[in-house]
Amino acid sequence: MVDASHSIRGDILGIEMTGVQFSYRRGFTLSVPAFQVGVGEHVLLAGSSGSGKSTLLHLIAGIENASAGEIRIRGTNILGLHGARRDTFRGKNIGMIFQTFNLLQGFTALENVMMALMLAGYSTADQHSRGQTALQRLGIKDPHSPVEMLSVGQQQRVAVARAVAGEPCVVLADEPTASLDPANARAAIDLIKEAARAAGAALIVTSHDPSLREVFERIVDVSQFAQTEVAQ
Amino acid sequence: MNDMAIVLRSVRIRLLASSVTVAMVAIAVALLLVLLSLREAASQAFRRGTGNIHLLVSADASPLVGVLNGLFYANAPANPIVWTKYEEIKNSFPWQWAIPTQLGDSFRGNPVMATTPEFLSNFEPVNGQPFQYASGRAFATDFQVVAGSQAASEHGLTVGQKIVFAHGTGASREGGHQHAGHPYEVVGILKTTGSAHDRALFTNLQSTWIVHAEDRRESGEHAAHEEATTGAHEEESLTAADLTDSDKLVTGILLRLPTRPGSDASASIAAQFDRLRRDMAITVAQPAQQIGRLMAIVGDIDWLFLAMAVVVLVSSAISIMLAMVASMELRRRQVAVLRVLGASAWRVFALAITESTLIGLIGAILGALLAFGGCAIASTVLAQRIGITVAGTIDLRSASFVVAGAVALAALAGVVPAIKSYRTPVARHLRPIA
Repeated sequence: MVDASHSIRGDILGIEMTGVQFSYRRGFTLSVPAFQVGVGEHVLLAGSSGSGKSTLLHLIAGIENASAGEIRIRGTNILGLHGARRDTFRGKNIGMIFQTFNLLQGFTALENVMMALMLAGYSTADQHSRGQTALQRLGIKDPHSPVEMLSVGQQQRVAVARAVAGEPCVVLADEPTASLDPANARAAIDLIKEAARAAGAALIVTSHDPSLREVFERIVDVSQFAQTEVAQ
Repeated sequence: MNDMAIVLRSVRIRLLASSVTVAMVAIAVALLLVLLSLREAASQAFRRGTGNIHLLVSADASPLVGVLNGLFYANAPANPIVWTKYEEIKNSFPWQWAIPTQLGDSFRGNPVMATTPEFLSNFEPVNGQPFQYASGRAFATDFQVVAGSQAASEHGLTVGQKIVFAHGTGASREGGHQHAGHPYEVVGILKTTGSAHDRALFTNLQSTWIVHAEDRRESGEHAAHEEATTGAHEEESLTAADLTDSDKLVTGILLRLPTRPGSDASASIAAQFDRLRRDMAITVAQPAQQIGRLMAIVGDIDWLFLAMAVVVLVSSAISIMLAMVASMELRRRQVAVLRVLGASAWRVFALAITESTLIGLIGAILGALLAFGGCAIASTVLAQRIGITVAGTIDLRSASFVVAGAVALAALAGVVPAIKSYRTPVARHLRPIA
């Protein structure tokens, strides 16, 4: 069932990792010889806690640095980009969703979405119209209420809207359902998948929840990439 | 949405901490500006009052004491100058004027200066600004008095009122020997000059001489007739004709050399100063120079005050830094989110610097307004109640310098939290809080 060398049709892939090496100081190494996700493809990254699911997402987002290899997002090797260029690239091309949403407190739902659009380089007018549209699509009725005033479900929708409003080519969702009950978890995944589909983005969702397996056509077990040094 | 909106929101989210740090900066800036202004006002107050005199002759121990006593009414000069000495000095050079003064009496703690009418007409307490009358006129005959604006308002003096002077200065308001037999009539009240002369009252020399001559003779008679028991002594008033040379004493001579019209300087001040200085019986001072020396001494002290104010300013900058560092854990998550959304490390660095600078700017502007407002109120109150012109003299140049300094310090205070923001490990701070 584990499928790391999934063959993809077409020339340019959503995500293409080749020979990626990443080491923690504690002696934990993540080694990804080859891993590809097609444009618009949805992948579930499975594995137990601590198996490296989040780390793999962080590597793809370029917020952790691989010591070797290539990570191409729509053909651009993010490891070849440094400093502000990598940050800008991430802002424009990668949307992230977190377990605890990581919305900016003190800002409204719309402002949270507009912030992402601003950092992705959209003009103020575009930020506003795109933000409004994204929130509307995701069923946020009051885009001007501060995020801390929204229900958990609404906050999740804002987080999804923020990730997809700029139409990124990749959406990465890190344990997006971990703090939800099963019914809401399923609804949340459907929401994320739908939003990613609408944005035309490749989607990687990490989860240790086995019930999500049936929702994804492709499941990758991260533990195949994890290596723990023998000397403990 | 733009970076400034993020900064403003960040300040607003931490409203209490932000307000406290803004208040600290405001207080420090206001304190610094008020100290600067007081320093300026104090030196102004001293520079006013020496007016248009070139040389001051006294019998005081030092030139500075002579100036402080003779022009700022610090104490009654202890040593007199005899009238013949005055005439000798007056005739030794073609002065523009040579005005004798005598200090020693007081009216309810305010000094009384006995002088000639030239003091009120020729001496200018502030260069180019002669005395002006709020009401009445100058004294013309004996036992008439002109009151300075502050003396008049303090004691509610009006033209036509009769008042009695006391022997000695200051110390006792009601006690001390009163010259009860010789009431003076208030004939004029001066307008405010913003100098020490506003506290004084002015009369002619002859009145004072008569009063003191009578005093001396009275006590002399008492001594002579103490055992004779001649009974009640019929007091007779002296007249100017009865005055001897030993009665005619002055304590100061204000001198002005001839100058070209429109000029305050005279080429021969130094020469006349040196000439008079050879006379060991008198002390000669160039008042402006003495005040300059005094300000140099006092200057060291107010540098200390300024240094303290700067320390307060620096500590307010440190408090900005501490407040920002204290909220760093919350900030780190915000920084991590911004980084994920596409902000560069330098951008979050700049956001932190902008935030501390903004706090400094708001604080500095509030502080400046506080200082300007405070000074305006204080100068109104001082003018109304004491009659001293301590104008709200925060000049814009020093105000902008202080504001700029405060903002720069605040920006500097942002460096530590900015570096912490810059170095925030993004991945670690995106994880759910355990």
